[in-house]
Amino acid sequence: MNDFFASVVDKFTRCFIAKSYWKMILQGFRDSLIITFFSIILGLLIGVILATIRTSYDKNEESLKIKGGIGYWSLKILNSLCKAYIAVIRGVPVVVQLLIWYFIILATQKNSIIVAVAAFGVNSGAYVAEIFRGGIMSVDVGQFEAGRSLGFNYVQTMIHIIIPQAFKTVLPTLLNEFIAVLKETSIAGYVGITDLTRAGAIIRAQTFEAFMPLIAVAIIYLVTVIVLTALFTRIERRLRNSER
Amino acid sequence: MNGDVLIKVIDLKKHYLGGKVKALDGINVEIQTGEVVVIIGPSGSVKSTLLRSLNLLEIPTGGSIIFEGVDICDPKQNINLHRQKMGMVFQHFNLFANMNIIDNMTIAPRKRLKKSKDEATEKAMELLKRVGLADRANDYPSQLSGGQKQRIAIVRALCMEPDVMLFDEPTSALDPEMVGEVLDVMKSLAKSGTTMIVVTHEMGFAKEVGNRVIFMDGGKIIEEGTPQEIFENPQSDRLKSFLAKVL
Ligand SMILES: Nc1ncnc2c1ncn2[C@@H]1O[C@H](COP(=O)(O)OP(=O)(O)OP(=O)(O)O)[C@@H](O)[C@H]1O
Ligand SMILES: [Mg+2]
Repeated sequence: MNDFFASVVDKFTRCFIAKSYWKMILQGFRDSLIITFFSIILGLLIGVILATIRTSYDKNEESLKIKGGIGYWSLKILNSLCKAYIAVIRGVPVVVQLLIWYFIILATQKNSIIVAVAAFGVNSGAYVAEIFRGGIMSVDVGQFEAGRSLGFNYVQTMIHIIIPQAFKTVLPTLLNEFIAVLKETSIAGYVGITDLTRAGAIIRAQTFEAFMPLIAVAIIYLVTVIVLTALFTRIERRLRNSER
Repeated sequence: MNGDVLIKVIDLKKHYLGGKVKALDGINVEIQTGEVVVIIGPSGSVKSTLLRSLNLLEIPTGGSIIFEGVDICDPKQNINLHRQKMGMVFQHFNLFANMNIIDNMTIAPRKRLKKSKDEATEKAMELLKRVGLADRANDYPSQLSGGQKQRIAIVRALCMEPDVMLFDEPTSALDPEMVGEVLDVMKSLAKSGTTMIVVTHEMGFAKEVGNRVIFMDGGKIIEEGTPQEIFENPQSDRLKSFLAKVL
């Protein structure tokens, strides 16, 4: 028993304490969080705008057709572009997207973190767009008409009335997407970033010790997801309470 | 009523499916300032579509709507500015679920009329008092009864100080015991000289408050006249059979 305990301590020391490997884990975790955070922000931004374009086309197609003109055609083209974007993102594996960003689109960008944020953010944007589109469609059309009847323009109605309500209904689905982004960032090692996963892999390669670093990395992801979930549950409850 | 024409509807058309369905087919009507016009007719007689065309919630496929001297069907017109002057009350209230009552009432005056928060709140509270709901200012719509919601919806529209109020079956979604409280608010509104266009199945309201009653069927105006003319001396068979059913 003592032997076992001693060997665990020894392994732990070799994997984390000696050569200050724990710092690498910590820095990797920090970079994973940074990439995740900014990717989520970028994804939300892209997603909300895309969802707004898509739904505004679906909702106003008929009336815009009657009016005709540039408004109708520009919205029609924008809508097609959004659809194409979503189709491309859905159809190409994230790793491949990441490599395309790194070696082609942002080949001159030295900061790999920025490349990763672009890749994961643009990828997430497509999924957030579809999530939000569902949320917007689920808001009663009467809410929209009431907004317009008071003189709000389309964008104001969306910002003040529709999107806040859509946001609340999609919150649980959105959390899933955020968790997916966090876990997706574990492929950032492909473009030379020492993220959490990569840090674990490096320690494993250098110490020939698989269990300690990989389980440590797994636990850190797990705890992060648990904390994120708890945070969202609280926000959800707060939002729901505000209506009762 | 001072005889000024507030809204003039000229040959208004709403066709669907490229003309196969003629929901509204050539409506001509004039609304004068201060007038209370009640629109009646069987279900599916396209009353709502006509009312909703007046503030372009439905885009007409033909004809024009002259509101305060301008043709608001002209695509060059900024419809939002005209809608600000046309309050609308819906069958299903449509209070903003994400806001409490006072925010429901002040958001449009603040964002559209650029009123200060204090100014908008003061006006809203005054209106809330008038309908006896001042103590509900911080509640959310889901906490109110149907009748309360509809009274709020009416005063929310009034916060914009509109030149005309449009009502689309404002009491149809209410439990019977709540119809009265909403009609009372509408009556006092009519007494104060507000121009109102009301689609309703409440014949009592039409008789008592209406200056003019319009009977629609099949997307056309079949008859119009004073409540007396319409209810006591109907001319067309369609109106006669409609009245036989509802009275
Ligand atoms: N998208 C559409 N395509 C074809 N016809 C339509 C469409 N939308 C509405 N209509 C027509 O409009 C009519 C409904 O008009 P509207 O809702 O204005 O009637 P209403 O008098 O308000 O009825 P109710 O008393 O039930 O509220 C339908 O009978 C239908 O023929
Ligand atoms: Mg109707």
